[in-house]
Amino acid sequence: MPDSRKSVCEQRIFEEVFNTYSKTIRNFIYYKCGDTAQAEDLTQDAFVKLWNNCTKVPFDKVKSYLYTLANNAFLNEVAHKKVVLKHQKSVTSIATHESPEFIYREKEFKGELERAIANLTEKQRQVFLLNRIENKKYKEIAEMLNISVKAVEKRMHGALVSLRSEIEHFKK
Amino acid sequence: MEHQNNDTYLAKWLSGEMSDEQLMEFKKTPAYADYKFLIDVTDGLQTPDYDQQKNFNATLEKINTQQEEKITKVRAFIPSWAYAAAAAVVLFFGYSFFFQKTSFQAQLAEQTSFNLPDGSEVLLNAGSEITFNSFNWNNNRTLNLTGEAYFKVKKGSKFTVVTKKGTVAVLGTQFTVNSRKGFYNVTCFEGKVKVTSGKLSQLLTSGNAITIQDNSVVPYTTTETVPSWTTQESSFNEVAIYQVITELERQYNITILGKEHLKPAYFSGRFSHTNLQQALTTVFDTMEIRYTFDANSDVRIQKY
Repeated sequence: MPDSRKSVCEQRIFEEVFNTYSKTIRNFIYYKCGDTAQAEDLTQDAFVKLWNNCTKVPFDKVKSYLYTLANNAFLNEVAHKKVVLKHQKSVTSIATHESPEFIYREKEFKGELERAIANLTEKQRQVFLLNRIENKKYKEIAEMLNISVKAVEKRMHGALVSLRSEIEHFKK
Repeated sequence: MEHQNNDTYLAKWLSGEMSDEQLMEFKKTPAYADYKFLIDVTDGLQTPDYDQQKNFNATLEKINTQQEEKITKVRAFIPSWAYAAAAAVVLFFGYSFFFQKTSFQAQLAEQTSFNLPDGSEVLLNAGSEITFNSFNWNNNRTLNLTGEAYFKVKKGSKFTVVTKKGTVAVLGTQFTVNSRKGFYNVTCFEGKVKVTSGKLSQLLTSGNAITIQDNSVVPYTTTETVPSWTTQESSFNEVAIYQVITELERQYNITILGKEHLKPAYFSGRFSHTNLQQALTTVFDTMEIRYTFDANSDVRIQKY
């Protein structure tokens, strides 16, 4: 495998790795803490560590190494606050098949949903958004978090149930 | 719904792993519409924008600072950590090879030429300096210039020359930038360059040049194919006499006294880099400036 001969100590490879993974890692952390500045700071720190340990990390282990670092960095972050996710709304109109009343209240509903997502547990929110927004498959998420696919599915399911109950009262 | 009543069926539904039979049943339940709507809205959400380049630069910055910190720390412990210090220094130079700023200078009365990491050529005129980050050069070809330089740029990503007066972004290839106190000139010899200075933004094609001095912008054309200063001469196109005289000082490493006697005037012409007496004659005599030139090579402008 030619990849095993690649080394992140090479500046070109290091940058390539950065360009491939940094955005996902940033969002990976962001979904947990809801703070872009903190997420980007921790992402940068993960890459600094990768550079410092470049001789010890084989190229094919770089991805899992980065996710492990990102996870640990987050755990070590002492002062981490309860945050509200601020998602940018896309302009695409959705759910045209829904009742007019629902469409009318779509905007309000989005706000409600964002609050509900913010109220999910960190674990549920991270899995849920990695799947829905980053389009990561359960298997990939399982690898990132170093947990089983079954555990990922449970978190997904739990997230949906919890979201529905949160917005239930809003509909009525 | 009983047989679906486990703790992952919603996950299976989303990943499309639910059997057709299960799906049909699920669709009959009132919960289905809720979940469907919930997912539709969620999928319309986006994460805040991510600026990859900015984050990469921030990462490099951290790597750099970290190196500096390491060095300072080690210095404080030199007696007991002599070996560590030696190792850290080696490490530091190893890293600095990638991450530290590289700089090139041309002293007074000399010119320096060098190649950039991508093979682009730079010729620095007297009393000029260039700094750039050699790490990541191929993706971020940006350098800082004080003074005057001639560039032969290899094809590749955007090439930017940053000076106090303005920025030159290169679309193709051979040009000079001269950024001095009160004077800014960009001459394009081949290809196209984009000059940005304050509100001005102008595209120069080959044979075109622009001078900014005394708050005015003067575009002109040139027939030169290489800058004159690379061939032992300095040429000027309506340049303030003060600037011409400071160039004389730089090329010959001399100090010309009595500049306060100069009257505002513009000079077009050239002077040689090899014969000071002759250079003084061509500049001062044509401008009818009185001066003295003594045995110690001291040049003094007289009141005229």
